[in-house]
Amino acid sequence: MDWLQLLVFPAIRALILIFVLLTGFAYLTWYERKLLARFQVRYGPNRAGKFGLLQPAADAVKAFFKEEIIPNHVDKPVYLLAPALALVPALIIWAVIPIAKGTPAIADVNIGFLWILAVAGIESYGIILAGWSSNNNYSLLGALRSSAQMVSYELPLGLFLVSILMLAGSFSLVDLVEGSRQWWEWIWLWLAFPFFFICILAETNRSPFDLPETENELVAGFQTEYGGMKFALFFIAEYVNMISTSAIMATLFFGGWKGPFAEQYIWLGPVYLLIKVLILLFLFIWVRASIGRPRYDQLMKFCWQFMLPLGLVYVSISAVLAVFLK
Amino acid sequence: MTQATAVAEAPANDLALTPELADAVVGTWAEDTETAYFIAPDRILDVLAHLRDAQGYDLLSNLTCIDYQGYGGKLRADVSERLDVVYHLYSTRRGGGSVALHVRVPADDTVPSATSVYPGANLQEREVYDLFGVKFDGHPNLRRILLWDGFNGHPMRKDWHEAYYEEDAKPFRSRHPKGEYAFHEDKLPWAKNTTYPAGWDPDSWQEAVAYVPVSQAPQHENQPHLDTESIVVNLGPHHPSTHGVFRMLTRVEGETILALEPEMGYLHRNHEKIGERNTWLMNMPFTDRLDYLNSMSNNWAYALAVEKLAGIEVPERAEYLRVIMAEFTRIVNHTWSIGFILNDLGALQTPALYAIEEREMILDMFEAVSGARMMCNYMRFGGVVRDLPEGWREQAAYLANDRLPRALDELDRLLTENEILKARGRGVGYLAVEDLIALSVTGPMIRAGGLAYDIRKAEPYGIYDRFDFDIPTLPNSDIYDRYYIRLLEAMESVRILQQALRDMPEGETLGGRGGYTLRAPEGEVYGRLEAPKGELGFYLASDGKTQPWRYHVRSPSYINLNALGPMSVGYKVADAIVILGAIDIVLGEVDR
Repeated sequence: MDWLQLLVFPAIRALILIFVLLTGFAYLTWYERKLLARFQVRYGPNRAGKFGLLQPAADAVKAFFKEEIIPNHVDKPVYLLAPALALVPALIIWAVIPIAKGTPAIADVNIGFLWILAVAGIESYGIILAGWSSNNNYSLLGALRSSAQMVSYELPLGLFLVSILMLAGSFSLVDLVEGSRQWWEWIWLWLAFPFFFICILAETNRSPFDLPETENELVAGFQTEYGGMKFALFFIAEYVNMISTSAIMATLFFGGWKGPFAEQYIWLGPVYLLIKVLILLFLFIWVRASIGRPRYDQLMKFCWQFMLPLGLVYVSISAVLAVFLK
Repeated sequence: MTQATAVAEAPANDLALTPELADAVVGTWAEDTETAYFIAPDRILDVLAHLRDAQGYDLLSNLTCIDYQGYGGKLRADVSERLDVVYHLYSTRRGGGSVALHVRVPADDTVPSATSVYPGANLQEREVYDLFGVKFDGHPNLRRILLWDGFNGHPMRKDWHEAYYEEDAKPFRSRHPKGEYAFHEDKLPWAKNTTYPAGWDPDSWQEAVAYVPVSQAPQHENQPHLDTESIVVNLGPHHPSTHGVFRMLTRVEGETILALEPEMGYLHRNHEKIGERNTWLMNMPFTDRLDYLNSMSNNWAYALAVEKLAGIEVPERAEYLRVIMAEFTRIVNHTWSIGFILNDLGALQTPALYAIEEREMILDMFEAVSGARMMCNYMRFGGVVRDLPEGWREQAAYLANDRLPRALDELDRLLTENEILKARGRGVGYLAVEDLIALSVTGPMIRAGGLAYDIRKAEPYGIYDRFDFDIPTLPNSDIYDRYYIRLLEAMESVRILQQALRDMPEGETLGGRGGYTLRAPEGEVYGRLEAPKGELGFYLASDGKTQPWRYHVRSPSYINLNALGPMSVGYKVADAIVILGAIDIVLGEVDR
């Protein structure tokens, strides 16, 4: 039953994963709105259901029933393709993340790290194509910002990933989590976490690095010309990206599914992962509620003049550590 | 942080012109109210230049026009031409009162543009051209500003009537012919109420895209081999950050602004024409709608002008109440403005909501005295409309002594040392304070440039000379200083509030009947005060009837926009948004 092993089981897993992620997305919007409201001395959604818990459902229904509007001046095939291109990488990046002992979400490929880098690389295409095909000045400026920003921040991001890879000695994320680390390794990793997190903020276009869609300047940036479900797809992509990157950070820096008794009771693995992801998502929202936005040129300067040299230094020291201490 | 503040002096009573310029004055008139100097149209630029250079009148505060067709009063100084262009000049260095120059011209005639002497005449001359049809010779960009190109006629002229014109004075008789309510427009056939200028076709019309001259060289000129192309980005009128329906027409190269021109008028309702038909008192609630955040200051400015014209005394307690309300308003405005500067910087909503929390407390106080949170309509000619309710003073004292200082300190702690605020604000939107004054900018913006010009000290009105407070100034004239100056001013307002609440005597709050049947004596007057956004002035002319002959609002939001283009050129699109936010405009006041 090779084809069963190869196709059917992974397909079922993938469907479950997509379902979980989309539900997660829906409740992430609720989580964010509630938290933001508390940061801002407000209540947040509290009308639809208990604690506003049905608000995501109401939003989804609203998005489905929106009229599909395709402006005349857009490049139609690309315009329609772009939202899908934005969403798919956010979902497939999950394939290699281990969710419990010995269990990756879809497949334990031996190039997990490269998979993450590759998928992160194509994420920006959706945004660039959306901005380009919209034929709108705001969209164009947003797309230009986005392409420059993502390309720039992938460099330090990649450097930090390479460092972790060198210390772990394996391309597989499953091995990374299950392999043991020495105490100095943890400390060295956690030193990098704040900078890695900054790169992730830029990579996911989250505030304060939400320059491609800066509401104050570019109305909605690359998605200005999108409405209805097409807009919703971009929205989903951004939030699923947040979940995915949080899971990656949890896996790389905080032991992924690991926790007390997670080795004995395998169902505890996903629970621990979920808790870690929620805490990291809280960080995203906290940053959004409290920090202003740097200007575009300042953002680029910060990347090239600070993050990149720092990444290089970190890689060099990690290499030395990996050779002499492991 | 504070400088020696400008001290009030007696207003100039004599122009003291040089002998060469003496023949430029064709008449003087001081019989009714303020001295008016009538200048020959072709000499006005010489007189303005002389007053600016030799006598230090560096601020062209107000420039407007009056149509004297059908005027019922006396013929002033034997000058009989129909339109009267009025200039009010002040000195920011000396303080003190104004010099009022008048230029009388026949309809459709031209007057030399004052923009070569005072660049700040730009927007005001465009408004006069738009509403009165006076052409200004030498104006760099003389287009309609509040109305669109397809508007037929110049509405502020006395002989211009709108489509469903009824009468010149309210209350209109037709509205209640037999005690029933009827709209005049219901009796007319539908349509046929739109007219266009002769030879103007709405179908073939295309908006002319005009730009202010680029005052700074674009940055790519260092690399002439790069083949670059600039694009036009239309920020607004429907845009999240223009604070209403306001449009910034920008030409950008990459993200750098090469030219920016403000376009307004989307909220224009011809406040001034309506004001001419209202009775004197009916305009009081109407001023609330100008700068709807600061209705108390607007009320006061209008009351101040009318009281000056009619010589009405204000009781002691009412003066205190006015100061208290005005200073509360200033705190409301400044916290709001700080919150939204931060909002424009991308700190979405959190600082704004923290700032607005204090505003809510103050609005509750306003509601308690006036019945309305925002449209207060609290002041009357000769005082305020009603005394305080029970317990108000204690609550206000709690706010002024306890809660507001704490809240302002908290904002200070949260924001002032913030790295991103500094990175975004320092050195952005710079314009030297001399340029700002030449552009007729007033209010916190020039104090953030280092000039301690505040009408509360420079030409005290009400009872401001009794309070101990400073005019804070900051040296850098950038966005960061414009943010910080507002916080400092709000702190000074708290000081004034504490003193006023402590010293306020008992007594009556309204001298006379509040002007319900006011017939202001013949004459003209320019009354102004330091509104939170800058100098708010009312220029009123009366011919002794129950309606004002002319009712002009010198609105700080509108005139401060003179500086938007010059301040934004050379910075990024993201900066232009914040520069606009730091000017602090309210569209109700810009478009009137």
